Amino acid sequence: MDRLSREEVLHVAYLARISLTGEEIEKFRVQLKVLMDDIDKIKSVKDYDDEMMYTPIEDNTRLREDVVGKMLSAKDATINAPKKNGSFIEVPVMINE
Amino acid sequence: MSKYLDLDIRKIHELLVKKEITPLDLVDEALSRIEENKDLNAFITINDKVREEASELGEVDPDNLFFGIPIAVKDNIVTKDLKTTCASHILENFIPIYDATVVEKIRENKMLIIGKTNMDEFAMGSTSETSYFGAPLNPHDKKRVSGGSSGGSASAVSGGLIPLALGSDTGGSIRQPASYTGIVGMKPTYGRVSRYGLVAFASSLDQIGPITRTVYENASLLNVLVGEDDRDLTSVKKDKEDFTRLIGEDIKGLRIALPKYFVSDIVDEEISKRIKEVISFCDKNGAVVDIVDMQYLDTAVNLYQIIAMAEASSNLARFDGVRYGFRASDVNSVDEMYGKTRGEGFGDEVKRRIMVGSYILSGENAKTYYDKALMVRDDITKEFNRIFKEYDLIIGPTTTRVAPLLGNSKDDPHKAFMDDVLVIPVNMAGLPGLNVPVGKNSEGMPIGLHIIGKAFDEATIYKLASFLEEVF
Repeated sequence: MDRLSREEVLHVAYLARISLTGEEIEKFRVQLKVLMDDIDKIKSVKDYDDEMMYTPIEDNTRLREDVVGKMLSAKDATINAPKKNGSFIEVPVMINE
Repeated sequence: MSKYLDLDIRKIHELLVKKEITPLDLVDEALSRIEENKDLNAFITINDKVREEASELGEVDPDNLFFGIPIAVKDNIVTKDLKTTCASHILENFIPIYDATVVEKIRENKMLIIGKTNMDEFAMGSTSETSYFGAPLNPHDKKRVSGGSSGGSASAVSGGLIPLALGSDTGGSIRQPASYTGIVGMKPTYGRVSRYGLVAFASSLDQIGPITRTVYENASLLNVLVGEDDRDLTSVKKDKEDFTRLIGEDIKGLRIALPKYFVSDIVDEEISKRIKEVISFCDKNGAVVDIVDMQYLDTAVNLYQIIAMAEASSNLARFDGVRYGFRASDVNSVDEMYGKTRGEGFGDEVKRRIMVGSYILSGENAKTYYDKALMVRDDITKEFNRIFKEYDLIIGPTTTRVAPLLGNSKDDPHKAFMDDVLVIPVNMAGLPGLNVPVGKNSEGMPIGLHIIGKAFDEATIYKLASFLEEVF
């Protein structure tokens, strides 16, 4: 069965910031290859215009007025944070990384 | 036990107006049905305040058709103070601090949110089996899936647990489960319904829509959901209209196109046969049905894979274990926190799509894959527009087969996309599409007809759907 190399899987996992276990790397070597082959099929579409469609909305330049709206309180903003200290969100040490 | 929830919504409303029943009666009936059908696994979370909310409505006079009616909400639409998990471990305990716009609208109309429905994790899948909480089952045959990604909403409505539900549709996720479970599901035109508060999967494709037992209820619920919203600048301002207005009219003179691809050999024989019966019925009733050639339909799945995975990889970057959701323990650096949180928090389908999406958007690949997909997407849209110059509607089967058995697509990343091969083109062009049941196959499983309309012409879709609903 066709599969990606371990290095290729680790490369896309790094791009996606997803850590994989050894078992997952083996599984994804095959499964990601299936998807990569699928997306490659776009290369065989020959007859197309070069106009790109980013959105189905015709008027995609609508903007709202720039006015001060309701703000989140610190309590609400941090209510779902997995680790916090008072109104601050805690993360691992970043300095000297 | 009472059977009020089996009545037409207009009849329920009448009983509420006459004070013969109360919203609490309806909620109690729904809760007891959910409990009796727990094995369907249609819900992830039940709203434990819903009885209290229903009691408060007991003293109020009904002011609209949906007053006091219980509704279920797909678990990727945020509900203030009510857990919203997206069927993922990474959001297992997430409590939103605001309501989605559609949730505000259903609350304004005094509907009662009974709970949050099961789904594919982050709406990625076609059977709801990627849910962290296990798959919802098909009420017609519990060995089969209820489709995806709005499988829980479909299972709940089809099983009679609840009359109404909200779903979301990025590549068929309302229409395909509606087809598998024999109910009515509408993906409105992109921009009809605000996406504010819908946890984004593929922003240029996602749209929220109603899942109901009947066409009339579907159109009526869409009346409530639509509208421009300054918090979603892709929502579109349109004059207010009543989507039920053409229901009940005959279909004489309606011009309908049936693309050859929709009845090609990718479709199961029994389904094709039923679609032909529908066509001859339309013919007999004065509609004109022509078989037409349409280019690019067979490329839609490929485009969807590229566009949806790319947009998903970007949208799901926000789940990093910092501000909300699960965070992996024992991490010593920020990079390690991101990687381990996402590695432990996401399921396989989501990981695959984020990884391939990140690859698609990296460096020169963005041109090779994403930009080219957007170009062909534009061509599909033009092709739909060409057909709609001559026809009012396009029809075909919603799915190529009836609901498959559980486990059928397990570990096959390709199959998850192919289940939606007939419904995906509609998302590419941003058009409205609806599933209406047109009978069952020899195994007793529902068959669905897919009706596609011109942009912002949902009313004509409902017209044909209601005409067929009476017969099939």
